Amino acid sequence: MISRDKVEAVLSRIRPLLQADGGDIVLVEVDDCSAGVRLTGMCAGCPSARMTLYDGIETILRDEIPELGSLRLV
Amino acid sequence: MTTVSSPSDSVLVGRSAKMRALLEFLNVISNSESTVLITGESGTGKEVTATLIHQSSRRKHRPFIAVSCALFSETLIESELFGHERGAFTGAVKDRPGRFELAEGGTIFLDDVDDVPIAMQVKLLRVLQNRTIERLGSTRTLPVNVRIIAGTKRDLRHMVAEGKFREDLYYRLNVLPVMLPPLRERRDDIPLLMDHFLERYFRRRGDDTPAISAGTKEAFMRYDWPGNVRELENACERIAQTCTCGTMRIGCVSMSILSQAAKRPPVAHTLPSSLDEATPISLDARLQELEASLIGWALKVSNGNKSKAAELLRVKRSTLGDRIERCGLGRAEAAEKVDRRVAVPA
Repeated sequence: MISRDKVEAVLSRIRPLLQADGGDIVLVEVDDCSAGVRLTGMCAGCPSARMTLYDGIETILRDEIPELGSLRLV
Repeated sequence: MTTVSSPSDSVLVGRSAKMRALLEFLNVISNSESTVLITGESGTGKEVTATLIHQSSRRKHRPFIAVSCALFSETLIESELFGHERGAFTGAVKDRPGRFELAEGGTIFLDDVDDVPIAMQVKLLRVLQNRTIERLGSTRTLPVNVRIIAGTKRDLRHMVAEGKFREDLYYRLNVLPVMLPPLRERRDDIPLLMDHFLERYFRRRGDDTPAISAGTKEAFMRYDWPGNVRELENACERIAQTCTCGTMRIGCVSMSILSQAAKRPPVAHTLPSSLDEATPISLDARLQELEASLIGWALKVSNGNKSKAAELLRVKRSTLGDRIERCGLGRAEAAEKVDRRVAVPA
């Protein structure tokens, strides 16, 4: 089981930058090998931003939490 | 390999103390005939600088030839720079002028001069001293009237100390040294460079330059830019190709920039203390950044409820609506509503 706190700790570093733009990332669920997040606010409706943030956040998370298999946008 | 300058794209952008000093120095040396050595990390604008020197010199109507010495093998570089006569080596089927001859009357920019093999350095030294060349396979000495600008990303003094670069050549090249600062040492110029490149790429797309969010500016300011201005230019091109909402926000920024920026403390907007160093800042732009970030915060903590956000900010509900529009936050709000419709509840 992936530690929710660990995921939150990584997200909390990215979060201030999103919040500065009126957006946010919410950790919705964590299970054995994956996590689900929801983007809200400013960039949530932009396809380019969703892809960038999705890819990027997954890469950063995997970098620091190798046991994380995949990230889902929910 | 060889580029003839395109004037519209060759511009050094910056108002920082370092860049102003540099631009003033370039003005002084442009009309000189002496050799220039431009030192700077990759992406700091060595070729742009060389082009500018050429364009503001008396030689501007003559050719500007840029050659990267890193591109050629030890055997090829001599023929590339000095040319060859027919039959000089296998495959030399006709006479061919070298880059020095092509630059006659103008300027030659020898980039990556640190990559010139040591045996070849002697020949380069001879050109610098005598202003003559000999084509490969020829005994004829040709005079050349060319201004030489060399570029390097390494510290040539260090290479001299290690025995990898000839000391005499170093001194011949280093007559007018120009040091280009890495972007991380002139962060004040980042917003200016962003405006410059975004304007260029959005104009190419046929669109007006959109507003830049406070978060994007902050991320750009915090990032170290190891690829310097070139990397920043590419980041701006990418934004111009992918931005869909008319305002540049944090989601437009590549994740490598965002992740490094996330690890760093906020950059304090330092303001120079003396008039000598001070460059103009836009009070309105700074205030708008602050306003947008506070409104963003209020909307966030009130879950998008504008009445509550207005209370938090102690403004009227109608005033907040106007300010949201003014900061360009309105469109994103609409986007969020769309997103909520499709989002699966947690």
